[in-house]
Amino acid sequence: MEIKREDILHLANLSNFSLSEAEIEKLGGDLQDIIKYISQLDELNTDSVEPTYQVFEMENVWRDDEILVQDANREELLALTKEEKDNQIKVPKVL
Amino acid sequence: MKYIPTIGIECHVQLCTKTKLFSEVDNDARGKEPNSCVSPVDYALPGMLPRLNGEAIRLAILAGRAMNCKINASSRFDRKHYFYPDSPKGFQITQFYHPIIGEGYVDLPSGNRVRIEHAHLEGDAGKLTHFDTYSLVDLNRVDTPLIEIVSMPDIHSAKDAHDYCKALWRLMCFAGVTNGDLYNGNMRFDVNVSIAPEGSDKLGTRAEVKNLNSFRSVERAVEYEIKRQSKLLDAGEKVVQETRGWSDATGETTGQRSKEEAKDYRYMPEPDIPPINLTQEFIDAESAKLPLMPKDYREKFAGIIADDTLEVLLDYPSLMGKLGEVDTRYVKNLSNLFASVLLAEEKSAEYLNDLPTAMELSELCEMNDKKELSSTATKEVFLRLFDPQMKGRGAKNIAKELGLIQENDLGALEAIVDTVLAKPETKKAQEDYRNGEMKVIGFLVGQVMKESHGKANPSAVQEILKKKLA
Repeated sequence: MEIKREDILHLANLSNFSLSEAEIEKLGGDLQDIIKYISQLDELNTDSVEPTYQVFEMENVWRDDEILVQDANREELLALTKEEKDNQIKVPKVL
Repeated sequence: MKYIPTIGIECHVQLCTKTKLFSEVDNDARGKEPNSCVSPVDYALPGMLPRLNGEAIRLAILAGRAMNCKINASSRFDRKHYFYPDSPKGFQITQFYHPIIGEGYVDLPSGNRVRIEHAHLEGDAGKLTHFDTYSLVDLNRVDTPLIEIVSMPDIHSAKDAHDYCKALWRLMCFAGVTNGDLYNGNMRFDVNVSIAPEGSDKLGTRAEVKNLNSFRSVERAVEYEIKRQSKLLDAGEKVVQETRGWSDATGETTGQRSKEEAKDYRYMPEPDIPPINLTQEFIDAESAKLPLMPKDYREKFAGIIADDTLEVLLDYPSLMGKLGEVDTRYVKNLSNLFASVLLAEEKSAEYLNDLPTAMELSELCEMNDKKELSSTATKEVFLRLFDPQMKGRGAKNIAKELGLIQENDLGALEAIVDTVLAKPETKKAQEDYRNGEMKVIGFLVGQVMKESHGKANPSAVQEILKKKLA
């Protein structure tokens, strides 16, 4: 599978990244290498192998439906954002 | 040309858990400040992990059983990736590959059956408010647990689309899995509509009208879409597959300028939440907690409550629950009081949140049965049972306080009748009655009622009068 320039631009667009020409070039190469590495698995016959969703043998990890006081309050959390207004997170216009 | 519409509906139901789906934060943000019901998990801060709320799984089982659905023993969560400010994680945690609720069905009043394809658990997104040059984000609703119910395209009219949504609302409310507050968006509907020429075995291209929050707007949006698409096809044009928005004000749908080609969600298994593997015993035990559903009440109260009254009352799950609690012999009277007295009151909505106890209601009906209260007095005391000033005092005490208890003691009544008959102003009426003018008995009963300050039982008074004047 060959990673094309359009693929990189498409992925960047989906994640709202703006990439420089150099980055497009570099990420394209990196992604190509990663896929080549993973593609080694294609050599194996996995027809009778169950898909692995999870590497730990855990199941049914649930918690009780009880409200807990949080470690961080509204002000502390809002302070982490780039910009706030009226106790809300201010973002560039999206519609 | 005549076209047959085909409609499939996706419905999002907000679950009424105490906490969110993946964090131990208050799930009820109604009337609360923006961003006051949030945690580092909701903000998707680095290293924060989702912690699955077990109650959401229990409610999902009830919701599934309410729709006659199979509950899948094994289900999982997946990540649905998209970039939008309403989702700090950059993805939604949903169940794409292995949903918890499998196939089922919902029956409509028309007799038609709508099959459920599946239903799954997922977290809601935050709320955006748009301004001229910016948007504001409130994360209170992030990861509120939702069940998304996906129907098969089994609906073929606007009326059935309306009735399906209403049936779902009732099922979810009676199952007790949601507050069902449509005004606050507790249930939202996305409606897929296509039309095809009658007799055609191929479905037409569909348009999806998103985010409808009332049964009426579902019905109107479907009607509009059928008309719009018919017009296009009649003119030899094509229906475009797209998402459309609905405006209640204009009664029209409009295409939403969205980058449809960017729909590439890159689903992958959610690695932070281990799979849900339910034993049959667990599923059975949870399913057994399903309260009575509308169809159960229809069976239970058949022949006791008139069909049309029952259909009105079924829109009020709390009232039905109350009727289920009281002795069957009082159900008829009480259902009429609920339907004709309470629901006619302007304040009925606020009354519904805090109903009198089954004991208070039974006491009231018993007094009416024993003729201690006239039907008018029964209505009055009934409403007082909801009155914040009188609440909790009991029907009997309220009736006494208001002086509404009827005099049924025949001896006492007879004495009052005698007093009235001795009055000169009733002489002419007595004479008229004896001369065959039966109507004047009404006047005489009225006089006795007045003398008794309204406490006499009018039918008993009439009997006594008839005897005395015979």
